[in-house]
Amino acid sequence: MFGEQQRFVLLLIAPAALLLLLFQVVPIFIGANASFRNWALYDPKKTWVGFDHYAAVLSDPAFLYVVLPNTFLFMALSVAGALLAGLALALLLNRPFRGQKLVQTILLVPLMVAPVVAAIMVRWIFNDQFGIVNVVLEAVGLEGQPWLVQRWSAFGIILLTDIWLWTPWFTLLLLAGLQSLPKEPFEAAAIDGTTTWRVFRFLTLPMLRPVIVVCVVIRAIDAFRTFDIVWTLTGGGPGRATELFSLYAYVHAFLNLDLGRGSAAAIVGGLIILVIGVALFRLVDRIAKA
Amino acid sequence: MAMVMRSAFLPQLPPWGRKAMFALVLAAICFAFAFPVLWLILTSLRPESGVYYVHRGTEFTFGNFAEVLREDRIVEAFLNSALIATLATVFSLLVTVSSGYMLSRFTGPASRLWFGTIYVFRCVPYISWVLPLYFVNQSWGIYDTYVGLLLPHVAVHICFFSWLMKGFFDGIDPSMEYAAMIDGCTRWGAFIRVAVPSALPAISALAVLCWLFTWNEFLFALILTGNRVPMITVVMAQFVTEMGLRWNLMAATAVMALAPAFLIALFGQKYVIRGLRI
Repeated sequence: MFGEQQRFVLLLIAPAALLLLLFQVVPIFIGANASFRNWALYDPKKTWVGFDHYAAVLSDPAFLYVVLPNTFLFMALSVAGALLAGLALALLLNRPFRGQKLVQTILLVPLMVAPVVAAIMVRWIFNDQFGIVNVVLEAVGLEGQPWLVQRWSAFGIILLTDIWLWTPWFTLLLLAGLQSLPKEPFEAAAIDGTTTWRVFRFLTLPMLRPVIVVCVVIRAIDAFRTFDIVWTLTGGGPGRATELFSLYAYVHAFLNLDLGRGSAAAIVGGLIILVIGVALFRLVDRIAKA
Repeated sequence: MAMVMRSAFLPQLPPWGRKAMFALVLAAICFAFAFPVLWLILTSLRPESGVYYVHRGTEFTFGNFAEVLREDRIVEAFLNSALIATLATVFSLLVTVSSGYMLSRFTGPASRLWFGTIYVFRCVPYISWVLPLYFVNQSWGIYDTYVGLLLPHVAVHICFFSWLMKGFFDGIDPSMEYAAMIDGCTRWGAFIRVAVPSALPAISALAVLCWLFTWNEFLFALILTGNRVPMITVVMAQFVTEMGLRWNLMAATAVMALAPAFLIALFGQKYVIRGLRI
């Protein structure tokens, strides 16, 4: 049926494709099916309810006015924060100096720390009674804050944890990008006496743009589904003030035991990120070709 | 942004001043990135009575580690996590090396379709397929078993790692494989005996990353396992809510969970960096 080459090509991807089918495609369809049915975990009647769950999700004030804004705000700020910090660090480290190896080792640690462990560390540091942050604040005469039970400080701490986790990744990739740039334009600029800012603005940044765009796309898509650090730091609280999209779906499916509603939320989120993902892919493609 | 500010006022400083500034900024950055981890280690070494005043006092003890290791559930969770991470690494590499090779060496509709599929599924949020996977696993009878956790872990790596492997193979000149085939090697022979050995540095980098990702993973373990297969990340997250006051034990567990990351940062650095540079 197939030529020898086609057979080879298909066999190369067959195991991967099979696993992808069984453990991603099939569950997505089953989830889609569940999202149209009355599928409570304690009593799965599985009767068809049409778009009821979608209507419930899309008219839920908590989803529209808390979860979605939180998710997009988190995505934008965590990517922007890690990108800016990572870029600044990459520019700083892009020169030979003693101790480079040590700095690199330290920067690698956050990259390899489990998000759950990172969240536990941050929780302890910002503990309202015994955390070092409050201890220091009180020592200098300021008032300690219950950091994790106020909406915006909790949100800020989640953001900070995420930026701490991901800045080194940006640094590493941007540093690799910087080191692979051609030397000649920079030498020419140095001869012309161009200021450092102009070199950065008109040489480094444009030449680095492809790397930056790829990093931002990968991170943005991953930031959208953040779960671990929020779950461990605040559990979505205080109340539901720091709930992100993944938590919303999880809470509905496994805490409120309504798999139909949870699946509908998961699919709504999946569709949103798919649209964003395809749009971003087009953007990368255009920039790569330009 | 640091770069802008530096260029604005640094030229006026004498060379030693610049050097000192640079060292100072660097030290501050290292401190910011290392502090949470150092603080955790310090906490893990304090006795129960000293844990609330970590910044004061001079008593240190390894008792917390001993106490944590007496808990069967935690020991079991560590062993489970190590086992799943190791198996997931082996299987992920087996399936993604060939898939990345295909993406790199062949063009045409099949290749484009596979690449498109991978990109789309890379975007799908984990929750969107792990949530219903709970039911799939239950109806296949693999909920809360090694297999039921292992296979989704392999599946989740397919997209990203195929993509990375494609990049690695793109950087390897295929002419050696052609030469081998002219000499009578089959396609499989050229792939396994020529391409794979020359991609070995990349494969080892990917192995290190894959092991860490699986060791650190939380959501899958949370949804797909119950009491029979405790995983360390889930046990810790329960720990922090249920036993939230025993921070010395919490810290000791977390430090042990960090150990692989430390070992890799110290000894496997070049692999991680190679693997992460897309």
